[in-house]
Amino acid sequence: FMMNSIFLSLLVGLLFSKDYVKPTEVGGRKKWKGEGTTPNLESIVIGRCYEYIRIVNPSVGEKNCTAIWEAFKKAFINKDPCNILPLDYELFINLSVHTIPPSKSLFWENNHLLVTSYSDRSRRYMPLCDTLIGSFGDFLNWCGRANNTEFDYDSCPTTEECENNAVESFWKIASVTYAKQSSGVIYIMLNGSAIGGAYPVKSFFATYEVPNFQKDRISRIEIWVMDDIGGPDLDSCGKGTVQILEERLKTMGYDITCIDNYK
Amino acid sequence: MPFQNRPSRTRCCIVLLVGIMSLLVIILVVLAVVFAHERKEISMPLLQWKGRGTTRNLEQVILGRCYNYVTTVNPQLRDKDCQKIWETMQNAFIYKNPCNITEEDYQPLLDLASHSVPCNKSLFWSKTNDLVHRYTKTSHNFLTLEDTLLGYMADGVSWCGNPSSPGINYESCPKWNECENNPNSVYWKMASKMFAERACGVVQVMLNGSVDAGAFRNNSIFGSVEIFHLDPNKVSTVQIWLMQNIGGPQSESCTGRSITSLKNILEERTLSVSCEDNYR
Repeated sequence: FMMNSIFLSLLVGLLFSKDYVKPTEVGGRKKWKGEGTTPNLESIVIGRCYEYIRIVNPSVGEKNCTAIWEAFKKAFINKDPCNILPLDYELFINLSVHTIPPSKSLFWENNHLLVTSYSDRSRRYMPLCDTLIGSFGDFLNWCGRANNTEFDYDSCPTTEECENNAVESFWKIASVTYAKQSSGVIYIMLNGSAIGGAYPVKSFFATYEVPNFQKDRISRIEIWVMDDIGGPDLDSCGKGTVQILEERLKTMGYDITCIDNYK
Repeated sequence: MPFQNRPSRTRCCIVLLVGIMSLLVIILVVLAVVFAHERKEISMPLLQWKGRGTTRNLEQVILGRCYNYVTTVNPQLRDKDCQKIWETMQNAFIYKNPCNITEEDYQPLLDLASHSVPCNKSLFWSKTNDLVHRYTKTSHNFLTLEDTLLGYMADGVSWCGNPSSPGINYESCPKWNECENNPNSVYWKMASKMFAERACGVVQVMLNGSVDAGAFRNNSIFGSVEIFHLDPNKVSTVQIWLMQNIGGPQSESCTGRSITSLKNILEERTLSVSCEDNYR
């Protein structure tokens, strides 16, 4: 009887173990081309949530990190991983959104590392990755499977395979929300050494953030075009794609300043 | 005599009554004991200190950081058992008086969570917290203690225990000048010692040349713990980067008094030393 109960409890433990990975490979081939879900996603995400509200930005007040995690999961678990829409994250957004102090918003393209070190974890500026919502997704990957309550740790669809995937839709609604929460002076940091231009017209910034600027709450917009140290000066204020952005914002009625290699 | 002719039913009633009374007495005694015990627990105070209390949701933060570190920052460590690491960390201080923490308390945690650092990559620091960590975040050529698992988990977090329930003190924790052997100080002392012991090749230290009291202080962790645990059999040279605040006072340079004192200590330990002002 002892042996049976040990065996049984081991079996039950294995079945309910969060890290038990059911392979989705068929004949050794992965289903999707992208990396699978980040291992230990739940612990990492809940840890980041508490870290944010207790250490990084306690001014956001009390948040229920477990409820936020559950709402996050609900957006994509047990669904076709190519049919996840931004609005599936609506409950998650409602639970985790918080105000962004005026004139602290920092938008960017192609300079993630520079932005994160400059923003100094919300001490100087608060780009999307230094908000509670952004900290959930930053540098992580996730997706689920249809008719299956587990994460897919094996592979996840890339945006080329299908656009309506869990991660893409997350960043879409996160970007829209972030833009809508921004007020005061808006700062935009672009990469003047990026191939294809500092302001990529098909980027998250162009498609989801600019159209959601709240005109009545924004005083003016400042653009910084930063070149890589020792890198080429491919784009600058008044030229190339930066000029496209400046024109676009001016047409929308904003007061614009642009600075090359802002110090 | 009145009792002799008492009917059996009445005797029954008396027995029943006596039984109920004894039961009541027993219940009262038990309640009294429990109440007194609880009273005793309530009367045991939460010790009060001058420093900030344990970070709330400490467990989730530490676990999350551990998993984040072994999964995304340093995936070579992906087999580390974060749950066990958290448990050994908690056992080091929970329910203990926070002025009596010893190195033995933390040894199990250190055994589980320590890992090697590649040679020529160890970067020590003193009074340059912001600058040194911005540097390591962008240049992945060097690692500070806070870029290792032990440092990463504990950076900016505070914790201490309390002898009575719940065993953790969220209100306050001892400052260093209240008692030296408090959970945070012992942790950082041991982690720093280990970081120094494991360093090999050329090691670097970033010091602050704009501080009044001198760039090198022998009561800092660097000056009191780390330099004495560098192993001359493994470490060849100590490279000092003496950094001054941009636009700030130039209190000291590589020829300064405290730097000379540091050089002497290191050379006495048969380590060779070099120094650069405002390293780029």
